[in-house]
Amino acid sequence: MTLPASDLRPYLEELERFADGQMSAPEQEAFEVRLEQDAELYQAYQAYEQLSADLRWVAGHETLYQRLLALDRRLDQRQEALSRIKRRQRKVQRQWGVVAAVGVAVLLAAWWFLLRPAAPNTEAAWTRYYVPEVGLTDEVVRESRRPLLAEAMQQYRAGHYTPALYTLRRIPNSTIGQDTITYYNGIFLLSQNDPEQIKAAQPFLRRVAMQSGSRLAGRARYHLGMAYWRNQQITAARNTLRSVANDARNPYQEAARQVLSSEALPQE
Amino acid sequence: MNTPHQLAEVLTSLRIGNQSFLITFYEENRDLFARWARRQHQLAAPSSHELLRTVLVEFYDQVADGRLTKLPPDLRAYVYGMADEQVRAARTTEVLPVVEAGRRQRLLMLFRQQGLDCQKILMYFYFRGYNFEKVAGKMGFANANVARIQKSGCLRKLYELRLRTEAAVG
Repeated sequence: MTLPASDLRPYLEELERFADGQMSAPEQEAFEVRLEQDAELYQAYQAYEQLSADLRWVAGHETLYQRLLALDRRLDQRQEALSRIKRRQRKVQRQWGVVAAVGVAVLLAAWWFLLRPAAPNTEAAWTRYYVPEVGLTDEVVRESRRPLLAEAMQQYRAGHYTPALYTLRRIPNSTIGQDTITYYNGIFLLSQNDPEQIKAAQPFLRRVAMQSGSRLAGRARYHLGMAYWRNQQITAARNTLRSVANDARNPYQEAARQVLSSEALPQE
Repeated sequence: MNTPHQLAEVLTSLRIGNQSFLITFYEENRDLFARWARRQHQLAAPSSHELLRTVLVEFYDQVADGRLTKLPPDLRAYVYGMADEQVRAARTTEVLPVVEAGRRQRLLMLFRQQGLDCQKILMYFYFRGYNFEKVAGKMGFANANVARIQKSGCLRKLYELRLRTEAAVG
């Protein structure tokens, strides 16, 4: 039902005061009497009531609309904050993942290194078990009388094996026993740690080892046994070293026993 | 979710202006609805949120107008159905003819042309039912009398705007 549009303006203030309960009791009574008598006022009153009802509807509608809009903004902000937190968490997780992966890789590498199958590593076993010849001391050499021998020993001790060998070969036979020269020839060749030279050392050492009268025979036998081992001549190495290990007077007895009891020398 | 007893009270509370049910509904169903709208109507999230807001306001209007007297047994299905209709209507007719828009819709358009303060005062007074003292408190006015004068001015402005618009339309 639509009322004819009448201009409320002349009555608006009065109607509002009535509707909002702002009139005093006598004022209200007088207004109610006028409402019954004044048709125009009554029409204006009805139009005002309709406007108020429409306005209540509009206000409700708009309130809900704005509340939903504000809620929507809040939810968007919350979602944005949540996704920001998630992004940050994922980043931290990724970083920890990388750290963990590196840690696991390091652990695996360490584990592999410690538990790797013990491959027969001749080089390492050689360093571990071989007891090198100490060489002749200066008192024994007596430098003033045998300068070349002294020089050879110095070069040997300094690790210069090839020059030591050359110097040794220049020593005249008259100044030093033949077995000593042969022995150190073998030692200097063996010390060069080269398969060919180690093989070349063997005849020298063998010759001395066979000279039962020589004081160097026992020592030569040890180095010969070790030279055999170094060249993977296992049977010869074991037999030679066994005779060293059984010789109580041999200074290398203990060293030979250690090699024989170790896994470095495979059993037959 | 709500118990049947609570649901039965929804319409009553909506009619007396308690909108919290719809606010909660929006909060709980916004994302779910957005997923549905994206699948059904290829709507992006902001558009689907706006659609849900429009539908909920329309639902509220139906209750407030008395067009809806019984709560649908499945409210979510009902709301989705309304959204469906809304999208289809928007696709078939771009803009509804002006004459078709109801008196209240016209008043709503005029209401939105008011200043923000006026909108707030009228909403506080006509929807929330705040007295002038509370309106003054909410709006930061010196006293209830200032609130009354302000509300009066806003109502007059709105009314005069409506008069001018009606005169212009013919």
